This record gives sequence, structure tokens and C-alpha cells, in this order.
Amino acid sequence: MARTLIRRVAFGVIAVLGVAVLAFLLEFVVPGDPARAIAPRAQSAAVLANIRAQLHLNRPLVVQFVDYFAGLFRGDLGTSYVQRQSVASLIGPRLATTGALALAGVVAEVLIGGGLGIVATLYPRVRAAVTAVNLTLLALPQFVVGLVLLLVFGFRLHLAPVTGGAGPAEIVLPALTLGLVGAPWYAQIVADQMADSLSSAYVRTAVAKGLPDRYILWRHVLRNVLSPAITMVGMDLGAYLSGVVTVEVVFGWPGIGLLAVESLQNLDRPVVMGTVIVGAVAVVLFNLLADVLRMYVDPRTREDPA
Amino acid sequence: MSVALEVAAHEVAALQVEDLRVRYGRLPAVDGVSLRVEPGQVTALIGETSSGKSSLALAAARLLPRAAAVTGTVLIAGRDLTALPAREFRRQRAGMVGYIAQDAMAALNPVLPVGRQIAELFGVHRGMSRAAADEQAVRELARVRIDRPGAVARAYPHQLSGGMRQRVMIAMAMALSPPLLIADEPTTALDVSTQAEILSLVRDLQAGTGSGILWITHDMGVVAELADWVAVMYAGRIVEQGPAAGVFGHPVHPYTEGLLRTRRDLRAGRPGTPLYQIEGSPPTPSADRRGCAFAPRCPRRTVTCTERRPELVTVKASHESGWLAACHHPAQQGAGS
Repeated sequence: MARTLIRRVAFGVIAVLGVAVLAFLLEFVVPGDPARAIAPRAQSAAVLANIRAQLHLNRPLVVQFVDYFAGLFRGDLGTSYVQRQSVASLIGPRLATTGALALAGVVAEVLIGGGLGIVATLYPRVRAAVTAVNLTLLALPQFVVGLVLLLVFGFRLHLAPVTGGAGPAEIVLPALTLGLVGAPWYAQIVADQMADSLSSAYVRTAVAKGLPDRYILWRHVLRNVLSPAITMVGMDLGAYLSGVVTVEVVFGWPGIGLLAVESLQNLDRPVVMGTVIVGAVAVVLFNLLADVLRMYVDPRTREDPA
Repeated sequence: MSVALEVAAHEVAALQVEDLRVRYGRLPAVDGVSLRVEPGQVTALIGETSSGKSSLALAAARLLPRAAAVTGTVLIAGRDLTALPAREFRRQRAGMVGYIAQDAMAALNPVLPVGRQIAELFGVHRGMSRAAADEQAVRELARVRIDRPGAVARAYPHQLSGGMRQRVMIAMAMALSPPLLIADEPTTALDVSTQAEILSLVRDLQAGTGSGILWITHDMGVVAELADWVAVMYAGRIVEQGPAAGVFGHPVHPYTEGLLRTRRDLRAGRPGTPLYQIEGSPPTPSADRRGCAFAPRCPRRTVTCTERRPELVTVKASHESGWLAACHHPAQQGAGS
């Protein structure tokens, strides 16, 4: 178990570094001059050159690369070109806002998707209806779901705020959007796992033991559904933390995704790099956490591979 | 009829099956089977794969999926469990019949410690506290001769050996001391020495509890070791049944004869001599079969066999009570084979 974990952490570090290198190189392929973005109104060539010198943009790529990664290893994400403020201090509060949304979104999709999956399995009569709902949700893009919710609950029914921001009232619709779009995946995995489990020999044993249906469902069936669901939750938390761009833009949720979009438009390279790296760390971290949790839930995953 | 046999006949059977039929859709799996298991005895049900023996076992334990259509009577310790309301049946079934599956690995929940899986019986049916039920589970594991039962109780199925897992299954099936145990090829997946240990364990446990056991197998060695009574199944029907010693010594039905010859050759086989095997393969279940299902493979087949289905009747030459065979040309008693 320990060996597996150590290996996973090592792979994680390598993955994050790889993403960082790739993102760094990509930013220099994207056309555009950060100096122009900072001073847009056709400044003189001298002013632009001055800005470039201040940002060390006139140095060779290799030097900039070494500089950046040397800083990264010291835990320094650099300074924003535009806001003149450390990237870490920009990302910190955004990470908290996005984290809240990611958590609420995952809770929503687990409840909606898990509910759909359980209902579809236990009540064959509504199975077709659930499948239809699943397919519809799968086919709808995130921004469509978000806009429909915003129109209906915000503008029409005035049940939810439409002005953007990061309060407890504002979180409901974006979280619901994530929940609805993510739900079909959970519904499918829960229904599949439950069907497997219900037709398994160990459930037959439980029936032979005269255990009540509900007891069998909770202790024997759903325990076995938990493991794949946890893996998906880990993947989703990581992915959402690395930026739910569409949802944050639609609802004006001031999180990492919104920050990334703004920074990309401003060619604010250090901030873009920061969001990419934080996102990569989040993905690796939550997948790892999911694996650890899975070891707790499913004893078969505890053994080290030979 | 001797006095002893009369007494036995009045005793309530651990399992009494009358004219049991199981169909999956239009496919018959069990085609009118009647069978008894006496308390304190082992009835071995023998047959090849797809002979319907597992369907019979599951039907007797009422564990078939809803898609299976079951008719006929099943009395366990004289009681018809189908007459009970669903809830009452659920409460009583584990105390009436224990079921031991073939593949203990699959039959145990992979994510629960085995001790817990035994303990929940005491929690649900005896209202024991969790701690008390767990302690009782450890005692049950000790009863099936598991070393260090405390440690094993905390282990998960995949951490145990095949023999240990099967012991856990046996402990689970016998936990509430049911009058009937149904074991569906429980030793098939085990090596010979583990198999022998399990067989002697079951015999010893049975001596203590007096349960009747229906033991399903295709292994004639197990039958010789364990059975008091033998029933041979072929294509969903019983073709011969009788006391184990009698059937083993002088099988009446050509199919039983074939099974026994296969085994004898396997044991005494000298290298280079061909093994006896029953020609052909077992038939697929069929609703509209004329004649004897075994006829196409039978060395004693005549025209009658392909036209008229033989009834299961008392073997005339036999002095043993209840020895039945379904054959137009039964072997003569005493002739040997």
C-alpha cells in the first residue's frame, strides 16, 4: 500500500512538471505581445521596449524558462504583468471561491446522478424515463444548461440572483448546472454497478441469509458501488478546481476559471501559468485522495501489485 | 419392511420435494423431480453440467431469480415455506435452510470482513448487539475448525485460501442451525486434500446437529465418501435413486453404470489403457422429448427407448426400500457391471 502511494505521488509530481513545461512553451507559441496588452493605446516603440525590458521579455527563452522554474521550485509563482501583484495572492482567494463551487457541484451531481441511478435500478417502470433524462442532459452543453437555469430561475421567477458574485445565494445555480451536466455519468455508473451487484452471488448469499431488502441494499450493494463513484468524484473535484470556465463565465462566478480567461485575454503569462499549475496540482491531488479513500472502501485495492 | 425403516418413514424429512418443475422461459431445467433428504443423512444429487441439479438446489432453497417459473411442492422439515407471507419467510429462511454455493469467493461480499458477514445473521435474526454478534461469529469460525478465528474474522474474502472461504460459507450456512443444508458442488474448486478436510468437517458437524444435507456434485468420489442416499439426474429428471451402497454396488440405470465406470477407470487406470467414457454429450433441455433422454448415448438402447419415456419405478429385484430407476432395460440385480 505504501509503495503504491509513493509511486503515485512521484508520478503526480512528474505530471505537474510536465504540464507546467508544456504550458510555458505553449504561451510563447501563442501570438501576441504582452507589452501591447499592458499599454494598448499605440505607445511609442521605446515605451513598449521599456515594458518588455521590465518584464524580462527581451531575454532569451532559455533564460526566462530557467528563471521561471527556479522560482517555481522556491514556491514563487511570479508576479502578474497587469495587476502588479504576486500571482499567488491573486489565485489564493479565487481558489477558495472555485473550491466552494466545485464542492457544491460534485455534491449536486452525486445526489442527482446517484438518485437517478438508484431509482432506475430499483423501479424498472421508470427506467426508460431516466434513460431519456440522462441522454438529454448528456446532449446539452454546460452553457446551455446554465443559461436556461439563469433565464428561468433568475430572470423569470426571480428566485436566484443574476448579478454574479460569490455568495451562498449565487452558488445555487452554477452548482446545479455542474450537477445536472455531470449527473448522467454518475447515474450510469451507479446503475451498472448496482445491476452487477444485485445479480451477484454474494447478494444471493445475503438473500439466503434472510437479510431485509433495505439492509442488503445499503450494506451489500451500495458498498460495492461506492468504489467507482469515489474515483469519479476525485476526478471531477480535480477537474472543477482547475477551472470550471464556462460555468464561471455564464454566472459571473469569480473563480479560477474566470481569472484564467481574463489573464489569457491580457496575455498575463505568469497568471495563466499559475492557474494551469494550480489546476494540475488539484487534479493530481484529488485523484490521489480518491485512490486513498478507495483503499479504505474496497480492501482489494490495498494490496501492492507484485 | 423392517421396523427401523418404518420408523424412518414416519420421521419428518429434512427436505421433501414433490414433482418439482423449473422452467426458464420455455426451457425446462427441472422436469418433475421428487426427492427426500432424511435428517442426519446426506443425499447426493449427481449429474453432468446442465442436468438441472443446480436449478433443483436453488429452487429448494428458494433462491431462483424471478424469471424462473417453479411449480411443485418443497417441504423443509415438513413445512411449506411458500405458504408464508414474504416477510415471515425472510425471517425464517436462514433458520430453515442453509445454502453453500460452489464458488465461495463470489458468494462472499468482497468489501466486508468475513466475520461481519457471519455476524450480521445474529444481528438481524437474533437481535444481538454488534459486539456480541461479532464474538458469536468468531465462535462459529472456531466451530468449522479455523485456526486463529479472531484474525480470520477480520480478514476479507480475497485474503483467505479457497478452503478457508468454503469453511466460512459452511459456518454461515449452519450459523442458525437449520434442519436442512443445500450444498451446490462446494468442493469442486478445491484441491484433493482440502476437499477431504471439508468432507470430514461436514460429517462431524452433521453428527452434532442432525441436519439433513442435499449435496450436489458430479464427483463420484465425494459421493462414495459422504452419501447415504444417491439420486442421479439426467436432462432435468431423476433416472435412478437409492441407498448409496446399493447404487454404487449394483447400478441399475445404464447412465449410473457409465458414471461409475468412468470413475473406476480413473482410479485404477494403468497408463496407456483408454478411459471409459459415455459416448456423446448430455442433451440440451427440451420441452417435447419422446422416449428416454439418455437413449442416444445408451448401449442398451432399443426401439422402445426412443418411443416411450420410461417411468421412475421401484427396482423389482431390489430388496431395498425406495430404490427407483427409470429404464426400460434395467440391469439385473446381482449381475454386477
